[in-house]
Amino acid sequence: MDNLKIAATERSPAVDFDFAAGRLSLKGESYPEDASAVFGPIFAALEAFLGAARGREVTFDFDLTYFNSSSAKALMNMFQMLDQSADAGCRLTVNWFYAADDDTMKEFGEDFCEDLSHVTFNLVSVE
Amino acid sequence: MSSFNLFDAEEKSLEQAEDLRRRLEQAPGPVRDGIASLIEAYSRSVREQRRLVRVSDRLQAQLASVNQELGKRKAEAEDALESLKAAQESLVQAEKLASLGALVGGVAHEINTPVGIALSCASHLADSTAAIAKLFEADDISVDDFERFMATVKDTTGLILSNVERAAELIRSFKQVAVDRTSSERRRFDLAAYIRETLASLGPHLRQAGHAVRLACPDGIVMDSYPGALSQVLGNFIMNSLVHGFDPGQLGTLSITVEQEEAGSVRLVYADDGKGVPEDHLGRIFDPFFTTRRGSGGSGLGLHIVYNLVTGPLGGSVAAESPEGGGTVFTLSMPLSP
Ligand SMILES: Nc1ncnc2c1ncn2[C@@H]1O[C@H](COP(=O)(O)OP(=O)(O)O)[C@@H](O)[C@H]1O
Ligand SMILES: [Mg+2]
Repeated sequence: MDNLKIAATERSPAVDFDFAAGRLSLKGESYPEDASAVFGPIFAALEAFLGAARGREVTFDFDLTYFNSSSAKALMNMFQMLDQSADAGCRLTVNWFYAADDDTMKEFGEDFCEDLSHVTFNLVSVE
Repeated sequence: MSSFNLFDAEEKSLEQAEDLRRRLEQAPGPVRDGIASLIEAYSRSVREQRRLVRVSDRLQAQLASVNQELGKRKAEAEDALESLKAAQESLVQAEKLASLGALVGGVAHEINTPVGIALSCASHLADSTAAIAKLFEADDISVDDFERFMATVKDTTGLILSNVERAAELIRSFKQVAVDRTSSERRRFDLAAYIRETLASLGPHLRQAGHAVRLACPDGIVMDSYPGALSQVLGNFIMNSLVHGFDPGQLGTLSITVEQEEAGSVRLVYADDGKGVPEDHLGRIFDPFFTTRRGSGGSGLGLHIVYNLVTGPLGGSVAAESPEGGGTVFTLSMPLSP
């Protein structure tokens, strides 16, 4: 399937889904006025990909510096989706990057991984 | 003290749901599965809600501290601006005082001449009087002696009178200009006469430079305005022409032309035929601290003060141009009674 690459805007993160290589990433800030416009295409592509990802090795990097509440809800939905496909046999690793001095982003990572039982979740501090 | 729980109602509902599940143990498989997955979905949703509340609390805390920081920075920037303005204001005052100092220096120089002449006439008269008194006491006085003495008396007293009058007149006009400069008082004055007085007060500087000065101003234009401001404006124009307009030894012409195009206002054009102002400086010469003579006496405040006086007390406008043929022209429009 086609890779998904969307450049970052002032209010939305850069999307880089390299499905062939099994490397997905979201990077930047996320406080869009219309969360569904930003996350709609992301979820559509992710759903199609994960549906046929059984047995594959997939790494998902989250490198976010700021997001609003609806983005947080979208992320939770995404994590639930990832956890379900990990349960279904996809070998999924999530890397949650946060700046070493950004306690808030670190705590968000800790919060988000609470409900994940099948995904390998790494908190990665970046200097 | 009972501890407050944000999700009390949700937890109670969950307990009731678990209760219901236990009581439905005998129900058919699909019903039990359905209930179990509803409970699972609901408890996930409650967990998410807790998380979301934490997320937005944290975000708002972050926002609040950013706002606080912003407020602090803004206050700091405003303080800095305030003290900058104060510093600028005191520099402007210093520049005004400096030009008043130059005026006073000019006054002293100008009055020296008539007072000096009167003094030497008086001492010549005293000498002649002493000589004639001696002749008179010795009873050795001739008609010739007396006639010569009378001629001397006539000449010297005439000279003394005219020079002392000249000095008194100079003092009067300097006093007026100086008082106007410092007091910023509003009064009625004849424009042509006042410009002449101002030119007189700048006489020493002008004569030293040797430029020709032309004044064309209709008589009888009476203004009810701030003469001190006007005199300072003209003074700054003239000093700028002397300092910036010409190379040492180069002679030129300074002119002041007043026209009354419509009732109620006048246009005053000040011009020199010196070096002029380069095109790319024209837009900046009224800015505070713009000077091409930094380090050699320029403060860059002269024209800024001109601008403030013209647009402020005088209620008019001022523009500068530097025509093709050279020279600098300032055009000043102002109401007769702002
Ligand atoms: N008559 C003039 N001829 C040429 N340049 C002038 C004249 N008047 C003003 N300027 C230019 O405008 C600048 C600003 O003038 P001013 O505000 O009085 O400051 P300052 O005289 O202290 O330099 C001067 O430095 C000079 O470059
Ligand atoms: Mg000047």
